[in-house]
Amino acid sequence: MDKNSSQAPESRPAAGGLWKTFTASVAVAVIGLVVLLQATARGNAFTTETLRRTVVAEAPQPVPDFQMTDAAGRATTLRNVLGDDGRVWIVEFVYTRCQTVCSSLGAVFQRLQQQIDARGLKGRVGLLSISFDPEHDTPEALRTYAERMRMDPAAWRIVTLASLQDRRRLLDAFGIMVIPAPLGEFEHNASLHVVDARGMLIRIVDFDDPDQALGVALSAVQ
Amino acid sequence: MNRLCTRGAVVTIASMVSLLACGLSVSPARTLIEQSMFWHMVVQMPMLVLGGWLLTSLSTGGRCLKGMEAWNHFGLTGFVASQFILAYWMLPLSVDRAVVLPSADFLKLLTLLACGALTRHSMQRSPVVVQLFFVGSGLSMLLAAGVVLATTDRRLCNAYSLDSQFNAGLGVMALAFALGCAWTYRVLHPSREADRQPCNGCGPGRPSDLVSNHDHPNRHAC
Repeated sequence: MDKNSSQAPESRPAAGGLWKTFTASVAVAVIGLVVLLQATARGNAFTTETLRRTVVAEAPQPVPDFQMTDAAGRATTLRNVLGDDGRVWIVEFVYTRCQTVCSSLGAVFQRLQQQIDARGLKGRVGLLSISFDPEHDTPEALRTYAERMRMDPAAWRIVTLASLQDRRRLLDAFGIMVIPAPLGEFEHNASLHVVDARGMLIRIVDFDDPDQALGVALSAVQ
Repeated sequence: MNRLCTRGAVVTIASMVSLLACGLSVSPARTLIEQSMFWHMVVQMPMLVLGGWLLTSLSTGGRCLKGMEAWNHFGLTGFVASQFILAYWMLPLSVDRAVVLPSADFLKLLTLLACGALTRHSMQRSPVVVQLFFVGSGLSMLLAAGVVLATTDRRLCNAYSLDSQFNAGLGVMALAFALGCAWTYRVLHPSREADRQPCNGCGPGRPSDLVSNHDHPNRHAC
């Protein structure tokens, strides 16, 4: 009895212990908050997709160069395509067998093409579809896709990677993540990438907001 | 003798759970967490936390964390740290990072094991009201994450398909419910662990011990 009663006061934390706990808890909370804010771009991004959009909007990034093949089978480079006539480009990533998100992207690009045509913007804003599936997307497949999408070559171009080995680097440069899907398809994040005439990726916009993409592109036209 | 057997079993189970959880980050098992969000968030992450929880019991009563006791009165510091760790790994962008970056995956293993160890250390020296606050907020966070994952029609993680995200959401919700039940059971039936580990002196709070368990009858054994 005596032992227990004499133990009880000792078992209560001393004031010094409470201060240590208080200090440690506050320190841990501060470190945790800093880490969370750092990871989420100051609380603005909770997904990889929104994070890369935030990062690009704050600090435009140069687009690396890649060997490409166009729908006519001609060898070219991404820098040549993007920088040949001073246009600002809205870029999408597709593979022509895609039945899901690429179809939606295709419909969005069709609407953009109509707007560009109707507003007489062909000389200022261009549309570029880049295929990340060079194994299947031969020049013939690109031509078939172009016909299906009713592409106007003056406003909308399509190219594919010349080498499969460049795929990872290309996708990483634009923040695209491709994962295998059933029936040999792919699943990938879909966005509209605005690249200015200097070859800088200046904004990434959700694919269901083409008006914003066009607005950003027009504001970037020199 | 019984205690030795129980301890041996805990050692075996703790080692197996921790090794299995870490093994999921190594090829070829890694494909499971790379392809399935369910395996990543509902199997591996909880196993890591459980592994950390069990590993602390390898030294009786969490003695391996004895130096932390002065800094963790009422379990505050440990709870705060584990909440931030959980919050970080509930972020879709953190889940993506762990899939893409081996360094982030390694950090995940370490922090979630630590989360389990800290949670156990804190549970043993916190009154029920403190547990209620932190367990409540942690489980609310889990439940909210599960609901978002299961109900949104957008891919939140670029690394996983929408189907995988939906399944993970359901799993996370079920996990939150199961953990809530387990905690409630532990509060209502505290005697089993207190009997097994009289040395920690700060066993789980009893229902009659809603404010403080620092006067636990077994505490003098420390």
